[in-house]
Amino acid sequence: MPICEVKNVTKTYGEGVAQVHAVNDVSLVIEPGEFTAFVGPSGSGKTTLLNQIGCLDRPTSGEVLIDGVATTGLGDKALSVLRADKIGFIFQSFNLIPVLTALENVELALQLSGASGGRDKAKKLLADVGLAGMEKRRPNHLSGGQQQRVAVARALVKEPSLIIADEPTANLDSESGENALQLMQDLNQNLGVTFLFSTHDQLVMHHARRIIVLKDGQVVEDGPGAGAQAGVV
Amino acid sequence: MFLFRLALKNLLRSKRRTLLASAAVVVGIFYLVVGQAFIGGFEESIIRGATDATLGHLALQPKDYPDEPLTFPLDELLEIDAPTRAWLDEQKAWTSRLNFQVTLVHEGESLRAQGIAYDPERDAEVFSRATWTSDGDEPKTAADGIFVGHMLAKNLEVEKGDDVILQVRTAAGAINAMPVPVAGVLSSGNPMLDSLAIFAPRDLATELLRTEGINQVSVLLASRDDIDTATAELAPLSDAGGFEVVTWVEETKDLLALQQLRRTMLNVLVGMLLLMSSMAIANTILMAAHERVREIGTLRAMGMSRRGVLGLFLAEGSLIGAVAGIAGAIPSAAIAWNYSNNPIDFGKLMEGQAAAGATISFSSFVYTEFSVPIIVVPLVISFLVALVASIYPAITASAMEPADAVRAE
Repeated sequence: MPICEVKNVTKTYGEGVAQVHAVNDVSLVIEPGEFTAFVGPSGSGKTTLLNQIGCLDRPTSGEVLIDGVATTGLGDKALSVLRADKIGFIFQSFNLIPVLTALENVELALQLSGASGGRDKAKKLLADVGLAGMEKRRPNHLSGGQQQRVAVARALVKEPSLIIADEPTANLDSESGENALQLMQDLNQNLGVTFLFSTHDQLVMHHARRIIVLKDGQVVEDGPGAGAQAGVV
Repeated sequence: MFLFRLALKNLLRSKRRTLLASAAVVVGIFYLVVGQAFIGGFEESIIRGATDATLGHLALQPKDYPDEPLTFPLDELLEIDAPTRAWLDEQKAWTSRLNFQVTLVHEGESLRAQGIAYDPERDAEVFSRATWTSDGDEPKTAADGIFVGHMLAKNLEVEKGDDVILQVRTAAGAINAMPVPVAGVLSSGNPMLDSLAIFAPRDLATELLRTEGINQVSVLLASRDDIDTATAELAPLSDAGGFEVVTWVEETKDLLALQQLRRTMLNVLVGMLLLMSSMAIANTILMAAHERVREIGTLRAMGMSRRGVLGLFLAEGSLIGAVAGIAGAIPSAAIAWNYSNNPIDFGKLMEGQAAAGATISFSSFVYTEFSVPIIVVPLVISFLVALVASIYPAITASAMEPADAVRAE
């Protein structure tokens, strides 16, 4: 079963002459274990489409299925449970909770999802992403690369079906970006975790096994080598 | 639990702002607890002023007995019939007194006073001597002399061992006077008695006033709360016996009504303080909500529901209320507890204001009221005020769209 199915999804903002189709009748399928990047110029609809897939926003029309569950029509509580159980997020600005330590940030995801494992699991994951001994540090005492590793651990700890990473390397230097990306690729290959990226970063596109090119809210190209013809990559 | 820990950490990130928002709650709760404790204490001192010093739980007196200050006619005296005597003997304690008008003369100076002729055997059973202090022994017979209230003694420049002349009209209306020794200067703990009264043993009064009569029988019930039952039992006896019943409830109702007014004013003032503090809390939580938009988005992305965000911000507001309430309640409870065990002697504070205390009977030893409701009710109020104040900011935070919030700058 696909991890995610997007069926004729349209997201429209504004009304009348000011109406904008940020995503326009997009359909696609994401299979388990994919390492896929959405690419395209600013305003092409990458982030809006990821919001629909991540159940952070509702499409104006069309349908998104996560693990076979139709999300259209689900209430806030059901969508929250779906996000807590099945979807992990990694953000461009890391989005760690500043008052919590690295360990507590990872634990928070477990608390919200109700997943088992607790503190030991969170500690092990932090060690797995190379942050052993830094569990008690708060985000402001971690480098950007380290913060993104905490964010990866936080996304991964609840063992989601899908991890959505929105421009995950945009705020990292090239070395930290390469390391973070290598980490995500290892997790994808070793654990079979499905990753969806939105990115402008050549490095991410280089690692991605599938590239979906968006332009004006529509998929203009989709495949392992997509983007080259469109001049995006 | 995790929610409360997170809420606490969020509050601690802006310590100064949280402290400022809490300050009004702390002051309000402190003021409320201390104010209620003292008002409750004053109420009790007013009641004890009647029950312990002048009236007992109730008193029998001649019908239509005047209640003007320093007016104690002797033309109508009490006669206790057998049924009334039987009823009195069933009570915890009773005693009789003869109140009379007297003029004290000492070295050319004279002052009007209230004479209280008491039964040396029984008086202390009804009127506690616990707050009495004197430089002499309580007079038991005419030969011992009298006790003079300390403010009266001061005004007349009388000391223990001096002789004073007591000038009275006898029960028959004749003028009589006799010199008596001052057995001691008395601090009774009741400013009215201390500034107006002399205490004379019954046999001295009999000799002075030419009567063995009484005009007051004071009764101590098993509990002062039994007053309704007692007055109901006395109703048929009073008609036959030709006396009227005065209770501590009637005697204190005007002063207690004044205290109730004070309590209401205190509540209004504290209410205004808490209203101000609720606005400060609402502002604090609202600012926090607007500063933490991205965090709210992140929590929503991680699976926290709108209700969860609502709960988080309500928890933050409630924590301010609870912690500030406790911070205000602890010192105020300590003060209330201390003075509930160690009374404040307002008699000393009133030394120069004898006239002010002259017509009001209350115990100058004020014990503050210390009870669970006096502490718990303000705590609950502070918690609820903070909770209500947090509702609007919490709704604002929970209404944020996660897709927008998660990428907010």
